[in-house]
Amino acid sequence: MTTRDLVLAALFAAIIVALGLVPPIMLGFIPVPITAQSLGVMLAGVILGAKRGGFAVLLVLLLVAIGLPVLSGGRGGLATFASPTAGYLVGWFFAAVVTGYCSERFVDRSQSGLVQITGFFLAALLGGVVVDHALGILYLAYVTGTGLSTAFIGDLSFVPGDVLKAMISALAGRAVMVGYPLLPQRA
Amino acid sequence: MKTLYVEGDTFLHRLSPRTKLLGLAALSLVLFLVHSPAVLSVAAMLGGIVCASLRLGWRQSWLRLRPILLTIVIVALFTLVLNGRHDALIVATRLTALALFAAAVTATTSTGDFIDEITRLAMPLERLGVVKAADIGLSIGLVIRFVPEILSRYQAIRDAHRARGLKPRPLTLAVPLIILTLKNADDIAAAIDARGIRAQK
Amino acid sequence: MDIRFEQAEARFEGRTVVHPLTLSLSERRIGVIGLNGSGKTTFARMINGLVPPATGQVTVNGFDTVKDGDKVRGQAGFIFQNPQNQIILPILKEDIALGLKSRKLSKADTEAAVEAVLARFGIAHLGERRAHELSGGELQLAALASVLVTQPDILIMDEPTNQLDLKNHGLVERTIQGLDENVIIISHDLGLIADFDRVLLFHGGRLAQDGAPAEVIARYRELAA
Repeated sequence: MTTRDLVLAALFAAIIVALGLVPPIMLGFIPVPITAQSLGVMLAGVILGAKRGGFAVLLVLLLVAIGLPVLSGGRGGLATFASPTAGYLVGWFFAAVVTGYCSERFVDRSQSGLVQITGFFLAALLGGVVVDHALGILYLAYVTGTGLSTAFIGDLSFVPGDVLKAMISALAGRAVMVGYPLLPQRA
Repeated sequence: MKTLYVEGDTFLHRLSPRTKLLGLAALSLVLFLVHSPAVLSVAAMLGGIVCASLRLGWRQSWLRLRPILLTIVIVALFTLVLNGRHDALIVATRLTALALFAAAVTATTSTGDFIDEITRLAMPLERLGVVKAADIGLSIGLVIRFVPEILSRYQAIRDAHRARGLKPRPLTLAVPLIILTLKNADDIAAAIDARGIRAQK
Repeated sequence: MDIRFEQAEARFEGRTVVHPLTLSLSERRIGVIGLNGSGKTTFARMINGLVPPATGQVTVNGFDTVKDGDKVRGQAGFIFQNPQNQIILPILKEDIALGLKSRKLSKADTEAAVEAVLARFGIAHLGERRAHELSGGELQLAALASVLVTQPDILIMDEPTNQLDLKNHGLVERTIQGLDENVIIISHDLGLIADFDRVLLFHGGRLAQDGAPAEVIARYRELAA
């Protein structure tokens, strides 16, 4: 990894941490506040790609593990990984990698804006929603012994919010790409 | 940023970070193999005693453990409804025990000790050419260094919205925040290289 | 100090930013001036190998900036335009110690070196402070300390007085005058370099004038008009 890649990942990790510290932002069209930290995970993949985005999220998890209260609500420490919902947290890493990998495959600088946004949306949906929720459900079902279907039903209520975040990260990803392109391009 | 580490000189403080981490990993394995509510309850109580011995005070302990204990209660209630009393008791005691011991390790290991330990653990990976072990400490330092900077930038962007009579929205806040922050990467990377902090290939 | 450019050229994305240049620098105080985009910052970055020459060669005290990059960066310290981005670790002392890491000094020696350089710039009281709490002038002095702790022979500074108030401007200017190191300064601040030994003027990626401050500054005023 070049020094620039290292710094980009560290700065993005700092952005994810900062997003956990700011008050929730209201969406324009529905009166629901969104917690921005999991949005930051999808954004890391969309903007930095698989390698640097994955490293950024890994850094956040490392900060949690070494006892810094960097998650929203001041959560942190090893106990966070002992929580029944730890699968979602560890899933962030895989979410960022998958989102980044798909973004690199789906999106090209020569495409039209709409195609780019759709590509980013699908990438964020696959990584941030499918992969992250799958891992979250698996771990939740394992620790509670309730079985997959119950864990899945409990999970469903969080899906709409995360789909919305995938949408926002697609729009933001495209806007950042126009203003300051960083996503590694296919050869 | 305030860490969750608490200064002190208890037995746990003096143990090496590696012993504590390996111990915690072993304990979590054992806890998942045990299916007796009685044994798990004893483990949870032991965890409580360990946490109490750190002399954090009730208020501090509660503030730290509240989010995770709340999640455990919700999950245990779910299990109670779906799988019955026996399973719910196992889930609640097992997870509580794990959370308490994990919180105790966090409270007795300083950030610096953790970074040194992670750097040592990464040495085999460095030999494989996956990462440079020293980069881990450097990256963690970078994150902590730039969080306050990003927060004040966020504040400035919010103020700019207000000054122009715009409502702050996730997109109009996040996009300029990300671009302004990442644009510094070139400068910061150049400074790291110019100071010879990461030996060049 | 002995810096040599031999037909060294810098390109960026296929465009020539600094045309082939042959030059040698040995004066203690050198100023570099020119309009925005004239190639002066790239020229400065070529000296310590941050920008490798596309063709030709640059050597510093006999070391090639490409082949012996690490040695060159040990000889030539660089202070960038925005001191904000040069302090990398949260606490000032930790940051300054970071530059010494490759020396493998003992903990006590590292601490002594950090204390000494902080004292040298009169900022010993800032050692435990967080980087984001420092003011513009304090940051510029902190950046100086973080670079000079490794005792380079040459110090290159890009716009050291940019965005400083009158008081901090005076402070930084006096500090620069008092430095024992060889100094190369890129600046729009013509007062800062008025009594330097030699001034280089860049224009359109070429060296347009090279000589005593008065004549070079006069030529710069003509070009800018």
